[in-house]
Amino acid sequence: MTQGYQDQRSTDHRSADQRSTGAENPYWAVYEETYGVPQQRADEAPVPEGRAPEAKQPVPEPEHDVKQSEAEPVVHVKQPEAEPAAKPKKPGRDRYLDLLRSIALVRVVAYHLFGWAWLTVLFPSMGVMFALAGSLMARSLSRPAWGVIRGRIRRLLPPLWAFSVVALALMFAGGWDPGKSSDGPTWGWVELINYVIPIGAPPFPWSIGSKSGLLEDTWAVQAAGVLWYLRAYLWFVVASPLLLWAFRRVPWVTLLAPLALTAVVGTGLVTIPGETGNAVTDFAVYGSCWVLGIAHHEGFLAKIPRYMAVSCSALIMAFGLWWASGHLGPDGWDLNDIPLAQATWSFGFVVILLQYSPSWQELPGRLARWDKLVTLSNNRAVTIYLWHNLLIMATVPLLDLFYDLPFMQSESAAAALDTTYMIWMFVLVWPLIGLAVVALGWIEDIAAKRSPRLWPNGAKRGGSRRKA
Amino acid sequence: MARTNRHGPAPRTRRRLPLRYLLPVLLLTALMAMLMLRGYVHSEILADHRVRPPVSSDKVPEKILEGGPVIDTRSGRAQGLKVDDKRLVLTFDDGPDPTWTPKVLDVLKKHQAHAVFFVTGTMASRHPDLVQRMVDEGHEVGLHTFNHPDLSYQSKARIDWELSQNQLALAGAAGIRTSLFRPPYSSFADAMDNSSWPVTEYIGSRGYITVVNNTDSEDWQRPGVDEIIRRSMPEDGKGAIVLMHDSGGDRSQTVAALDKFIPMLKEQGYELDNLSEALGVASAHTEVHGLDALKGEAWIFLVQASENITSGLVVGLAVIGVLVFTRFGLMLLLSGMHARRVRRKNFRWGPAAPVTEPVSVLVPAYNEAKCIENTVNSLMASEHPIEVIVIDDGSSDGTARIVENMRLPGVRVVRQHNAGKPAALNRGLRNARYDLIVMMDGDTVFEPSTVRELVQPFADPRVGAVAGNAKVGNKDSLIGAWQHIEYVMGFNLDRRMYDILRCMPTIPGAVGAFRRSALERVGGMSDDTLAEDTDITMAMHRDGWRVVYAEDARAWTEAPETVQQLWSQRYRWSYGTMQAIWKHRRAIIEKGASGRFGRVGLPLVSLFMVVAPLLAPLIDVFLLYGLVFGPTEKTIGAWLGVLAVQAVCAAYAFRLDRERMTHLVSLPLQQILYRQLMYVVLLQSWITALTGGRLRWQKLRRTGVVGAPPAGMPGQRVRGDSERRPVG
Repeated sequence: MTQGYQDQRSTDHRSADQRSTGAENPYWAVYEETYGVPQQRADEAPVPEGRAPEAKQPVPEPEHDVKQSEAEPVVHVKQPEAEPAAKPKKPGRDRYLDLLRSIALVRVVAYHLFGWAWLTVLFPSMGVMFALAGSLMARSLSRPAWGVIRGRIRRLLPPLWAFSVVALALMFAGGWDPGKSSDGPTWGWVELINYVIPIGAPPFPWSIGSKSGLLEDTWAVQAAGVLWYLRAYLWFVVASPLLLWAFRRVPWVTLLAPLALTAVVGTGLVTIPGETGNAVTDFAVYGSCWVLGIAHHEGFLAKIPRYMAVSCSALIMAFGLWWASGHLGPDGWDLNDIPLAQATWSFGFVVILLQYSPSWQELPGRLARWDKLVTLSNNRAVTIYLWHNLLIMATVPLLDLFYDLPFMQSESAAAALDTTYMIWMFVLVWPLIGLAVVALGWIEDIAAKRSPRLWPNGAKRGGSRRKA
Repeated sequence: MARTNRHGPAPRTRRRLPLRYLLPVLLLTALMAMLMLRGYVHSEILADHRVRPPVSSDKVPEKILEGGPVIDTRSGRAQGLKVDDKRLVLTFDDGPDPTWTPKVLDVLKKHQAHAVFFVTGTMASRHPDLVQRMVDEGHEVGLHTFNHPDLSYQSKARIDWELSQNQLALAGAAGIRTSLFRPPYSSFADAMDNSSWPVTEYIGSRGYITVVNNTDSEDWQRPGVDEIIRRSMPEDGKGAIVLMHDSGGDRSQTVAALDKFIPMLKEQGYELDNLSEALGVASAHTEVHGLDALKGEAWIFLVQASENITSGLVVGLAVIGVLVFTRFGLMLLLSGMHARRVRRKNFRWGPAAPVTEPVSVLVPAYNEAKCIENTVNSLMASEHPIEVIVIDDGSSDGTARIVENMRLPGVRVVRQHNAGKPAALNRGLRNARYDLIVMMDGDTVFEPSTVRELVQPFADPRVGAVAGNAKVGNKDSLIGAWQHIEYVMGFNLDRRMYDILRCMPTIPGAVGAFRRSALERVGGMSDDTLAEDTDITMAMHRDGWRVVYAEDARAWTEAPETVQQLWSQRYRWSYGTMQAIWKHRRAIIEKGASGRFGRVGLPLVSLFMVVAPLLAPLIDVFLLYGLVFGPTEKTIGAWLGVLAVQAVCAAYAFRLDRERMTHLVSLPLQQILYRQLMYVVLLQSWITALTGGRLRWQKLRRTGVVGAPPAGMPGQRVRGDSERRPVG
């Protein structure tokens, strides 16, 4: 090699190269040096020592719960006294990750509403969400693990309880008897505990009410079906100290082990029955994404040359597509039904997203106009996620009222509404979600030991705080 | 009126900017549309091959089941008409077929028989002349749907569409409409069942008469001539409608059977008429006029165009395939030869080896404040005696000052008003003391041995210029890695090949050496083209000098990091190359060295650098087409095969250059993201060339912008990056 180009960059790359070959993992030495500054490339501006952990991630601040992904309560890195009451600026808050989370949420709602399988390929929301959550979890784990886990759980459960109360009340009112579950009467009731703390996915009746009722008879499935995410999240949170420990010792093995596990439990090679099987499969499918989040936070991803990261992810994603093409599920290309394809596609996708992670202080250019919505959806991610499916179903009886309107009586008008029905559902579900945010979002604040807010979109925060 | 052009050039730029995307996009869209149309009339798109198994027939009226094969369900009627005794109607389905239909028509003509052809819309669109011939020769034409689906599976909208598309094709082919219809997969009237009867009723309500048959030749099974006749023959002189096929495979048996069958029938006293004649009613045809006729003709025209274009594309694809593989083969062979030759133990360039005489290094710089210090410092470490002349081409960022402040011995700075890179080089040449001239870029870094290695070939007095080995320094980004692959292949395969073939088209401006006497003979650098390096190299060839490649003269350059910079660079390369080829076109008819280059080198370079890349997008067009409509697996397999060949070539180039293979991992992505960008750039150059871009370019030159393409991209980095060309 020669002078010039190589000189400026050599430190970084040499370490990355050696890491892949050294048995003793020489990466670790470099890694420890840079640990104080966990994020990003060498060419970024140096970060003051004391502020280092916040260099990339949002600093704790009452308004933003940026650190929450969907269903991801976060304990602040610093103690509450570090939170000034109304801080006008948002230093270090990574709006890129916020934006990803918002896109993921919109994609989830759209997917649950339209049911288009290709949306799972277009943007693997769940992988992205878990990666973001994993990154934030890794950041918090600079403090004692037990406290972090407790804090996470504390912030997860109250919003879940609110949802559980409503969902269970509706189900029992619909005549559901958990004792008639296939697991036997005792287990059926015992499993209800998952509505309180989601160690497993909570049970629900597959069919409830009548088909002619206000809601479809499968509403319980759709309402409670989303709760698997909370279970998976809980497992990841609990496993995070171990994952972080393992990642720091054997990064590549930890990163890729979940993919290998998916190849075993997600392909029918080994089948684990029941809810345990679901839990293990979900853990394996999204485990690599979670660890990717950790890797991102640890600055591991930034050390891999970009061409290498992107090219290898593209190959992994191509494998995912190829696998999916040979194992199409009942809904065709819906990756949710094809664990190995979901795992590999999400993994590659997330690598590329995080590799290009530009660490925006604020949304650039045209994206800036979405700033408030991004802030709001990030602050209320748990609420939006928990309630969106129930609200999607609630749009149906509301829309059906339109058929009774006087000007809708002609056949052509009704037909027009028929053909555009889904679109109207999609239009209507957002105001409903807005209502849910107003009515139930404050629980997230209570769970985070903050004063409750109605509409935390980050606008005019000084004023709104005074009012509150 | 409010939008008059008052703001000078700005609106012009805005209006022109989309053009460079618009034209290629339009071209590609048109191409795709034509391919889609072709796929459509070849039943590769929207084809539905399901056939419904028979179901019960309790809802079909008795009189239909027991009635004749001509089913009239118009305006609520339900009757099955029979053909009178001793009358027979031959019917042919699924045509027209370019091979068999003419033969069937010939036999019918020979025996003066009329028949009915139930044509599909796809076939009629593709072979409109045959439909015209049927009508001209007194046969009747009926509809057989557009692309032959089982209608019982289709919606009413689709049925309407099948019929209207079929009529459209008829109108375009023969200027008629018809009222006869035969449903695909139909047989006898008594085979009507609960799924096909509603369709028949619906089609009747659209004004069509459904025609099934009495006897089925089952000729599609190719049972033998006699068997076809036996199955077709009605019992004891009864009237009949006979089902045959003039399409869908080898129909030689059908033709042979007809030739026997018709005389037999005539002997028995049968009349062979078309349906209307047999039933004694008015013809089923009505002529089409006005808008409908025009629409039909337009349709047929488009389909014909798509067929022709597609055939052209297939030829193009074959040409490009041959070109690409020939090129790969040649490259592997010749670069292997070259490497073996120059790496022989006792290899000497010529009698004067080793070359030790001092060298003048010219560094033209335009706003290179960031890099110039590295550049000059790297020269200071040179193992060969040199003088350095930095020519500041009117920089505004203090490039010259930076160099002067370094106060290095043997480094001179020459300033000039911004006049472009060729002028800067000529000025440097006038200031140079020595007879060997090395030219490099202001953002390029040499190794200590680069200058020495670069001038060694001058030991051969016939060598007039030497190309060095430019390498990408910033190769860890994705776009950098792609360019790295491109450079390594370009320098280690292309340049070695061109060296052996003695037609190297370009000395890279980033690292090249010239004999002063040779430069002076061809008049120095010229600003006639955007690629002065290609221009001067071709001039050298025409003057009879040898141009060779020195593999160990490595120079590290910084490749463009953004798509826009890359675009602008490549645009000038490809457009400049085209200009240079055009400028030196007279070499083809000249004598001596110039003629040799003109007749061997120039066509080769044009073929590989201008024509082949132009056809290369076809690979992607067909890939896309194959992925969506064609045999997906075979398409992917073929693509992977081509990729493997490329990987082998790239790996060989990397081995020759002793590069680490890791960057090859980005080769697959390069093939689906980067290559296409290069096509569009080349296409853009073609468009500029064909629409008189020369003028515009000269205007731009006056403003001193060296780095901008005619389309004018604001805010890009301006510098002489026409060099460092990996290919050529």
